[in-house]
Amino acid sequence: MNLLSVQNLRAEFFSGGRWLEAVSDVSFDLRRGEILGLVGESGCGKSTIAYSIMRLLASNARISAGEVWLEDVNLTEADENTLQGLRGSRLSMIFQDPMTALDSLFTVGHQVVETLQEHLGLNLAEAQERALALLRQVGIPAAEERLSAYPYQFSGGMSQRIALAIAISCHPQVLIADEPTTALDVTIQAQILHLIRRLLVEEQGTGVLLITHDLGVVAQVCDRVAVMYAGKIVEFSDVNSIFKNPLHPYTQALLKSLPSQGIARGALENIQGRVPSLTDWPTGCHFHPRCIHARALCREKAPPLRSAAESQEVACVLYE
Amino acid sequence: MSSTNDGDNPLLRAHGLSKYFPLESGILASLRGAQAAVKAVESVSLDVYAGQTLAIVGESGSGKSTLGRLLLRLMQPSAGHVQYKGENIFAMNRTRLRAFRRQAQIILQDPYASLNPRMRVGRIIREPLDIYREGSLAERERRVQELLERVGLTSAQARSYPAELSGGQRQRVCIAAALALSPEIIIADEPTSSLDVSVQAQTLNLLSELQRDFNLTYVFITHDLGVVQHFSDRVAVMYLGKIVEEAPTATLFAAPQHPYTQVLFSAIPLPDPSRRINWELPTGEPPSPLDPPSGCHFHPRCPKVMADCSATVPKLQTTAPDRRVACLLYEDRKHSPPSAPSKVRTPSSNMDGGETS
Repeated sequence: MNLLSVQNLRAEFFSGGRWLEAVSDVSFDLRRGEILGLVGESGCGKSTIAYSIMRLLASNARISAGEVWLEDVNLTEADENTLQGLRGSRLSMIFQDPMTALDSLFTVGHQVVETLQEHLGLNLAEAQERALALLRQVGIPAAEERLSAYPYQFSGGMSQRIALAIAISCHPQVLIADEPTTALDVTIQAQILHLIRRLLVEEQGTGVLLITHDLGVVAQVCDRVAVMYAGKIVEFSDVNSIFKNPLHPYTQALLKSLPSQGIARGALENIQGRVPSLTDWPTGCHFHPRCIHARALCREKAPPLRSAAESQEVACVLYE
Repeated sequence: MSSTNDGDNPLLRAHGLSKYFPLESGILASLRGAQAAVKAVESVSLDVYAGQTLAIVGESGSGKSTLGRLLLRLMQPSAGHVQYKGENIFAMNRTRLRAFRRQAQIILQDPYASLNPRMRVGRIIREPLDIYREGSLAERERRVQELLERVGLTSAQARSYPAELSGGQRQRVCIAAALALSPEIIIADEPTSSLDVSVQAQTLNLLSELQRDFNLTYVFITHDLGVVQHFSDRVAVMYLGKIVEEAPTATLFAAPQHPYTQVLFSAIPLPDPSRRINWELPTGEPPSPLDPPSGCHFHPRCPKVMADCSATVPKLQTTAPDRRVACLLYEDRKHSPPSAPSKVRTPSSNMDGGETS
């Protein structure tokens, strides 16, 4: 069952007097109770997709084509009132820097309680009780005292727990998590990822879109994975297949360039060249200038994502 | 370059090195007597050998960056000393210190912040040569060209400003500037943390080649254990200002001894869905360095905590010829073989044949 459906999405940024495409014809579905990883290097458009879904794009950016459906609601056409009602309740988001989600002027308790009252219609006492239970659930020690603390008194890991508690409190159908553990230490990262899986995906059936550049995180928690390169999804598959049998040359190269793959002290395989910037995306397949399998055709033809094996889709002429 | 690579003498040796940052200063605080302080680094002793890479790993607040700065005398220690080829760097006079500084360079994490945005790349790389008045201007310019080529930049890029370069290219500029004076040792503080995976691989390969070509010694400060495993000869693990374990890389990854190292390794998200994390990880966060726990700093989070751990500060002691660990579990049986860690999922156990060296 698809909770969220992104169809032929295009998003653009206005820069230097023209519109530059940042997300180029992206389609995918998010199912109930799964974690879908959206993985790619910086500038590939993964966060732009997140902000497009939330309809939180900056003023110099726009959705130029395509639709995003949250079950029966067309998010791309919804008005601000509808969106306001959906955000934080059916559709929730957590960010890399949890401080962006918290207001430094109010106590943490106040912010959690306020959200609960707003979205669940609880009275003050009920909301306070619920807030306390939530803080305990996400592993905040001495939760009672911490309710009256201010965000600056919290570490990055603690703030992310609070952001998560706020997200969990409203039973979202969809959670978009944009690099939620990138700023955290590994032991804390593991705890946060575990909380997302246990409290949201398993207990509430939330569908999570996990945006990350960390292939280790993807392997650990995702069910399915979309690999992005320069604005496009180049490969879409279940998590086991993508690590065992990556199809797209970019995915293959990316996995080989990881230093933890066991070849100690040898030269790491790397991808020649660099990620292209928005202003000079290559023609045809965006990866062709860096691809070791590139042929003349790749310069002209942008291959669509199509099924290449069971539960694996790839956008590459090698598989056509 | 290094003529002192005679096996046993470390190039750089830290002894009882501590750095405390006072929380409040001024007359009132000093009247009150004992000052509260953050013990960022607490009696750290370690050796760095020529031509090798020592990795210092730890989570945020463990003091690893402060330690790196102390090793270069970029700050004064609260106690202890650092010897460079037997000479205490904190006792060096201006001339000696100037000589030391050309041998010991640093590369920082953020190539966006560590380059002067108003200077062209060529000038940034030339600056150390200017400061040390190396040869004529023409010779310096030639050297800049040489360095650019060596780190994989084009000679035309000497005229670029940092803003015109990508993150990976900027880090190459930092590396070229660090290499300009042909140093013996480079302290690299999270040099690839801000780079994308594909660019990180290019940068690590470059650092490897340079080490081989110039017999460079690296101290690699990082929290990325994949990078550590790939890149280093020895590893020192820090927790809240102290070294809790030190061992050759392969040994450490095969069988970490300190419970903290074991926890740390088991939390690494390996890029392999068939080896998922055992989620029964210790709960809790690293304590604030403002108020570290008594005894062993790790005891409140330790899965193997014993009654003594909150009272006794474990000493970093030798458990095998080549390794040291600071944990009461090993204090009484330093001559017996270390007990096999139970159910520790180490990154090396992930790989075919557990090949780590």
